[in-house]
Amino acid sequence: MEIPYTTEVRPDTGLTNPKLGIWLFLASEVMLFGSLFSSYALLRSGAPTWPVQHEVLSVPLAALNTVVLIASSVTMVMAWASLAPHTAAVRAGDREAEAHSLKRYRLFMGLTLLGGAIFLVVKSIEYSEKFSHHLYPATNNFLGLYFTLTGLHALHVIVGMIVNGFLWGPGARMWRSQPERFANRIEVAGIYWHFVDVVWIFLFPVLYLL
Amino acid sequence: MGHDVAAQVRGYMFVFGALLVLTLVTVGVSYLRLPETPAVIIGLSIALTKAALVAMYFMHLKGEKPAVYWPLGLTAFLFVGLLVSVLLAEGDHLFGTQFGDAFTR
Repeated sequence: MEIPYTTEVRPDTGLTNPKLGIWLFLASEVMLFGSLFSSYALLRSGAPTWPVQHEVLSVPLAALNTVVLIASSVTMVMAWASLAPHTAAVRAGDREAEAHSLKRYRLFMGLTLLGGAIFLVVKSIEYSEKFSHHLYPATNNFLGLYFTLTGLHALHVIVGMIVNGFLWGPGARMWRSQPERFANRIEVAGIYWHFVDVVWIFLFPVLYLL
Repeated sequence: MGHDVAAQVRGYMFVFGALLVLTLVTVGVSYLRLPETPAVIIGLSIALTKAALVAMYFMHLKGEKPAVYWPLGLTAFLFVGLLVSVLLAEGDHLFGTQFGDAFTR
């Protein structure tokens, strides 16, 4: 059985199913991170003292990671823009357009994966630096929140990289067989990846700067 | 179609530049060591602006269908409700709210 409305718009929602699906999933993700952000607000506002966050954590490393993640969002959207205009040509059997757009797509998706990898390396440097100073999640409420929030976020980066890695490699075969559907997949994977970026955009000031 | 995409890509680059500038500004402001309240207001305003840019342009939320806006609007409402209810639990020393002995008898 074929999955319905992967490329054509469903009349009642005005959307393809994957588009609506990813947004509903992200709505649930907002509440997941929201519960942790509100825990942070409660514990910090109720605490008699709070560590000076920028003295405990490394602002330069986190700023670097912010730039890396934003750049990987740009390359992700460029990966989509490399494919989207050429779906009709590929469907019509234009092999040159197919190969050219796939090459460009792979370049940008590869850069996106590289950005995710750099982010995780920097994150693990930060973590190991904390551990080497005997700073653990159990040390205090702030570090508990820091490791929980950034750990959950890093998990999201890893999941995004697994999906993007599949779409860079074996998943890209769909570009020839069903070009519109593949371009939609990249758009939807991109919306998830940008969400991970948005979460970090809030984590950076909340945990490091304020 | 080709022209549209070229314009779109230019838009993405503009957003990229804006996000980098805003990141620089938020880090710069943090080194001013402002008092807590203005620091939180400025820091979160910049973060909200950056998030809005990513959502509108990279996530294509600008010009999206109502079937996306409605669930997201509801989520935003619940998210704010969650934060506010949590902060009100600490309202006595955060905002100086006092109920006196109205609830003690």
